[in-house]
Amino acid sequence: MTESHSKHILSIMVDNEPGVLARIVGLFSGRGYNIESLSVSEVDSDRFLSRVTVVTSGTKNIIDQIKAQVRKLIPVHNLIDITELKSFIGKELILMKLDIKQKTVLKIHKHIKNIGAKILFEDKTVIIIEFSGTPTEISGLIKKMKVYNIVELTRSGLVSMALGKDYIRR
Amino acid sequence: MMKKLSGARIVIEALIQENVKVIFGYPGGAVLPIYDELFKQNKIRHILVRHEQAAVHAAEGYARSTGKVGVVLVTSGPGATNTVTGLTDAMMDSVPVVCISGQVPTHMIGNDAFQEADIVGITRPCTKHNYLVKEISKLAESIHSAFHIAKNGRPGPVLVDIPKDIQTFETKYGGKKHTKSFAFYKPHTKPSFDTIVKFVNLLEKSKKPIFYVGGGVINSGSRASLYLKKLLKITGFPCTQTLMGLGATPTSDDQFIGMLGMHGTYEANLSMNKSDLMICIGARFDDRITGKVSGFSPKSKKVHLDIDASSFNKSVNVDLLIQGDLSKILEMTLKYIENKRISFSKEKISAWWIQINKWRAKNCLNYKNSKSIIKPQYALQRLDFLTKHLDPFITTEVGQHQMWAAQFLTFNKPKHWMTSGGLGTMGYGLPAAMGVQIAHPKDLVIDVAGEASILMNIQEMSTIKQYRLPVKIFILNNHYMGMVRQWQELLHGNRLSESYMDSLPDFVKLAESFGATGLRISKPGEMDDLIKEMIKIKGPVICDVVVDPKENCFPMIPSGSTHDQMLLGPNDKLEGEISEEGMVLV
Ligand SMILES: Cc1cc2nc3c(=O)[nH]c(=O)nc-3n(C[C@H](O)[C@H](O)[C@H](O)COP(=O)(O)OP(=O)(O)OC[C@H]3O[C@@H](n4cnc5c(N)ncnc54)[C@H](O)[C@@H]3O)c2cc1C
Ligand SMILES: Cc1ncc(C[n+]2csc(CCOP(=O)(O)OP(=O)(O)O)c2C)c(N)n1
Ligand SMILES: [Mg+2]
Repeated sequence: MTESHSKHILSIMVDNEPGVLARIVGLFSGRGYNIESLSVSEVDSDRFLSRVTVVTSGTKNIIDQIKAQVRKLIPVHNLIDITELKSFIGKELILMKLDIKQKTVLKIHKHIKNIGAKILFEDKTVIIIEFSGTPTEISGLIKKMKVYNIVELTRSGLVSMALGKDYIRR
Repeated sequence: MMKKLSGARIVIEALIQENVKVIFGYPGGAVLPIYDELFKQNKIRHILVRHEQAAVHAAEGYARSTGKVGVVLVTSGPGATNTVTGLTDAMMDSVPVVCISGQVPTHMIGNDAFQEADIVGITRPCTKHNYLVKEISKLAESIHSAFHIAKNGRPGPVLVDIPKDIQTFETKYGGKKHTKSFAFYKPHTKPSFDTIVKFVNLLEKSKKPIFYVGGGVINSGSRASLYLKKLLKITGFPCTQTLMGLGATPTSDDQFIGMLGMHGTYEANLSMNKSDLMICIGARFDDRITGKVSGFSPKSKKVHLDIDASSFNKSVNVDLLIQGDLSKILEMTLKYIENKRISFSKEKISAWWIQINKWRAKNCLNYKNSKSIIKPQYALQRLDFLTKHLDPFITTEVGQHQMWAAQFLTFNKPKHWMTSGGLGTMGYGLPAAMGVQIAHPKDLVIDVAGEASILMNIQEMSTIKQYRLPVKIFILNNHYMGMVRQWQELLHGNRLSESYMDSLPDFVKLAESFGATGLRISKPGEMDDLIKEMIKIKGPVICDVVVDPKENCFPMIPSGSTHDQMLLGPNDKLEGEISEEGMVLV
């Protein structure tokens, strides 16, 4: 019996208290589920709520089990499976530092403009660019920029939201 | 005006508000302020155990035999880490326990201070929830929330870690009613009406139904047992129970067809396998039950009644899920049946009962008795015969003796059977029996033990002595880790690696050294006299029952096999080699 694996984006509202991330991450590692991407930040400072976005994959049974297990955690207020909504958007942010040799700088500038990235910093030796997009767009960007000398890069986990009027209740 | 109280005092006051009568604990530096407050009051009784693991098992025994929350108090570092096995045990078997641990003062946390352990980190996966109280203002709230979480929904252990400085700081405490909101925790307890209708529909249609009853009924409480008994009566359906569910309804009932699973009866397992409707009531399709999942009751429709959504479709896919508290679900079901005047025809299931009775006639628990050596099954049959009129509370250790106890003892009431099912913790039975005895001082409490397991918490004899607990320890001494030996015989070419119990203590002298009575027998003819004497003695007793060292526990479904591939006795051989898949299972 082979069941198909699919990718799911889970959006989780939690109390912003110490250890809450450890609870979620520990649950995934302890039960052998994988985390493909993770992002967390406080979104409601009056009620001390954070929003966690986890990208995971598994069979339908495993995904159902993950949701039930996460919902059981006491600091978890609400969980929605964004992938199950009609339509949604998911974005990541990337920062990339490029080593610039005099002769390519013009070419780089043009390239950056073309793809719609922003220049955050520039001096004689390096350029730092910022770009946000879907994971595919970001991976595409990295591929394209490989022709230059990428000194370092960092990318955030996915953040995601339903299109239309669906939203996660607090 | 509200007076300011110290943190330590608030702990005690909050426990009193939670109606706590007894706590099991062991002192140390990081909880001295709380022990000081304990000293100054007389509403809560403290039982001094001899090892913190035992404190948790005692609290489990107390909780499971009363339906109340069991409470534990330990110091930081080693005191706290010693509770980990007990907490995991309570987690696996859904037992409500609140464990309060001391911690190094807040400003020293993270400094590898003396007796510092990150117990909140360590116990995160083995508690239902835990708290590190970093501010005195959160103390009362944390304790009351801990009780709320431990006992509601699917019960479980909750740990509250309290740094020593918090215990000495002062703040106002207005009691439970005036304590700020509880944790955001409202388990789903009421099932939807339309699932009840669908459920009753399935019950009406079935020709080969079976009730598969688990520990959730015990968790839900006496009302759930009562309603289930009624439902059994109205429907006339057969009923099997898991190890954790034994006694949910009386096991002496004619509709009860024995425990199911790895060491369950032939009739229970075959009924599960061949049924057309399986009604799982507060059980969780554990791998000891299902065997090889792909061959588990292939033709049945399955209904699952459970309070915990994560129990659904975990290993076995089910056709109808009903989420809620069992007493609610069963009450609504009975009401619906009554309102609609539905009656269940006994005729419809008569062919099914004929089939079941044929399986029953195999008499699968039969064993070859002996006149010269005590068979463990015989010892338990006599124990059952001579004590069941007293409705004893039975606890067990882990191993063959545990399985035989499950097979041969009668459980006519819920909450009278305390055993470590999910974790299978050797050393559970003796401290659990203490907890039960504390809660039921006048009742007969028996720990059915193995000689290996009993040594894992034998230090508790000292606790038993101190509090004059008349616990009866009934050791089925086979000189082996019998359960391990059985697997080695079956699966590892009879190479008995490290499973022989050498250098055992003289259990009679051991009993005497703790002020208890020690009795030893080795002849079947002495069995009844021993048991009668054991019951007669007012204080604690250790019975060293020397039994056949070679006896194995049957029926047995070897791991990785299906219900219809059961071994019924020593002459049954495994069909071919056990699969590699089966070999790696525990
Ligand atoms: C050596 C050994 C051998 C074993 N062999 C067997 C065997 O042959 N047969 C066997 O049965 N077991 C056996 N076990 C035990 C086994 O490992 C499991 O512990 C046991 O089968 C689980 O029982 P359960 O399904 O009743 O679930 P429990 O662990 O008791 O879980 C209870 C279920 O009920 C639910 N619940 C709790 N409260 C409520 C409520 N208020 N309302 C609704 N639902 C609720 C919970 O969410 C959970 O799903 C053995 C153990 C050992 C150590
Ligand atoms: C703490 C712990 N360690 C190891 C085991 C593995 N184990 C299961 S049964 C058993 C043997 C138990 O022997 P005994 O108490 O004599 O019982 P018997 O099977 O002989 O009746 C062992 C070692 C366990 N369940 N718990
Ligand atoms: Mg033994």
